[in-house]
Amino acid sequence: MLREKKITKISRGVIVFLLCIAYLLPFYILNILALNAPDRVFYEGNLFIPDFHLENFAEAWTTSHIGRAMINSAIITFGTLALTIICGGLAGYAIARFPTAYNRFVFGLIIGCMMIPGIINTVPLYTLMRQLKAVNTLWGMIFVCSALAMPSAVFIYTTFIQALPVTLDEAAALDGCSKFQIFWKIIFPIIRPATASFVILNGFGIWNNYAQAVFFLQSSKKHNVPQALSVFFQQFAGAKWHLMASTSMIAIIPVVVVFLIFQKQFISGLADGAVKG
Amino acid sequence: MQRKKNKAAQFLSLPALILYGVFFVYPLLRGIGMSLTNWDGMGQATFIGLKNYFDFFSDKRALHDIQTTVIFAVGSAVLLNIVGLLYALLMNTEFKGKSIARVIIYLPAIISPLIMGYIWYFLLQPKRGYLYYACMQLGLPDLIGNWMSSYHSALAVLIVVNVWQFAGMTMIIYLAGLKAIAKDYTEAAAIDGATKWQLFFRITLPLLMPAIRINVVTNIIGSLSVFDVIMSLTEGGPGYATESLSIYIMRMCYGSRTGYSTAVAMILFVIILIPVLISMRLTRQKG
Repeated sequence: MLREKKITKISRGVIVFLLCIAYLLPFYILNILALNAPDRVFYEGNLFIPDFHLENFAEAWTTSHIGRAMINSAIITFGTLALTIICGGLAGYAIARFPTAYNRFVFGLIIGCMMIPGIINTVPLYTLMRQLKAVNTLWGMIFVCSALAMPSAVFIYTTFIQALPVTLDEAAALDGCSKFQIFWKIIFPIIRPATASFVILNGFGIWNNYAQAVFFLQSSKKHNVPQALSVFFQQFAGAKWHLMASTSMIAIIPVVVVFLIFQKQFISGLADGAVKG
Repeated sequence: MQRKKNKAAQFLSLPALILYGVFFVYPLLRGIGMSLTNWDGMGQATFIGLKNYFDFFSDKRALHDIQTTVIFAVGSAVLLNIVGLLYALLMNTEFKGKSIARVIIYLPAIISPLIMGYIWYFLLQPKRGYLYYACMQLGLPDLIGNWMSSYHSALAVLIVVNVWQFAGMTMIIYLAGLKAIAKDYTEAAAIDGATKWQLFFRITLPLLMPAIRINVVTNIIGSLSVFDVIMSLTEGGPGYATESLSIYIMRMCYGSRTGYSTAVAMILFVIILIPVLISMRLTRQKG
């Protein structure tokens, strides 16, 4: 019996170890490619030790303009999150507290379209964006991404606010708060977990958006990270893997750092969302 | 007075409605109209009825794209859930380094699928990829050589890469599901002398089944609009073999067939409606 337990323990350890290798190895190989000298095309000899050609990163940084793309991605991500949290939070409050026919319609419309992916309306949206002069602008991209994230926000905020006791609103109303103040000063701070799970579920997706960026961020000054990488690859680095790999490394680092800092909240937030959904 | 205030306050949902209406619902409706024209994106649009739809169903490339998209979506969804559940079972036991392993397995899911596609492109490219040389050094030069140059293996690689990247996400969902199963059930069964296999197949799996069904359907819906990973890993190739409908829509739009591309989007919409309706039935059964 004891021996059997030991065998399970060891075999489990081996499986987990191999799995972790399978998950880390591609990143390590990307790193090797990023550090290889430009003329090293054939991996003769050792496969696991790179050339440590650090100049690649400097060259990748200047030629790919990935820094500019990261700033654009940051503006789009924060702008989208802020806009969607404010609009979605207010809508969730109105829907939860004033379930009139109008608000039932708003909820039904937005949640009913939840499963429709952006690509379905991207082409007609493109003509609209051209009329609004919003193509190749960051604010235009913020509105597009915000519309795509809106169902998630409305759903999360409505469910959270519905679970809050109405006495909270009533007490605040007695103190002379307007409806907007009740939302902004009382409800919104209480439902911070709702905001956290909205950010967790949508933040990286907005940062990584490519299917919309292909259409709406074509001018090189407005590229976000994925669009900048794909254009860099197509126009320049398709044959220069060392540069493409080091640019990808640079693009991955901020995302991984943010994830590692918040990984505890992240994984528990996802699990909460899974149980409630 | 109070009632008047309520009347005004119900419209706090107006900003969301306007934003969503302008940037999502309106283009969706406009797309239906556009799909009935031969518009090229610049000049005058002429009404041509259902011609775009007939064109679609007589276009071999388009029909092949449906096949690719559906195989990718169903294959990804089924594998994602099997693999994710296996990971969750593994992670539901106690061992050292568990939280680190969980973070490592989840890590790829936060990174852009486009970048993931490029990484695997570097690994698998015939005659140039890293794994090609690795296999050569191991004396197996032909192992990876042809993977990306035939339809079936390239599509399989796309599915595996997608599953590799996102299985951590399903793992987290199933871990939460496993934790939610009351210990009483499993303990009672264990006292009755049930083996581990019996515990899993008679207790755990049936209790998880509603969650599994909904997860599979949601994953199918998500994967039907696949775009990023195919763009970077195969660019839809070889030829148009692994092109998904989303990529087809973009290419038709760039090819000045704007009206036609919106018709394709409407067809993809109808395809997505099938699993959506299934998931709505499943959720209703659950509630």
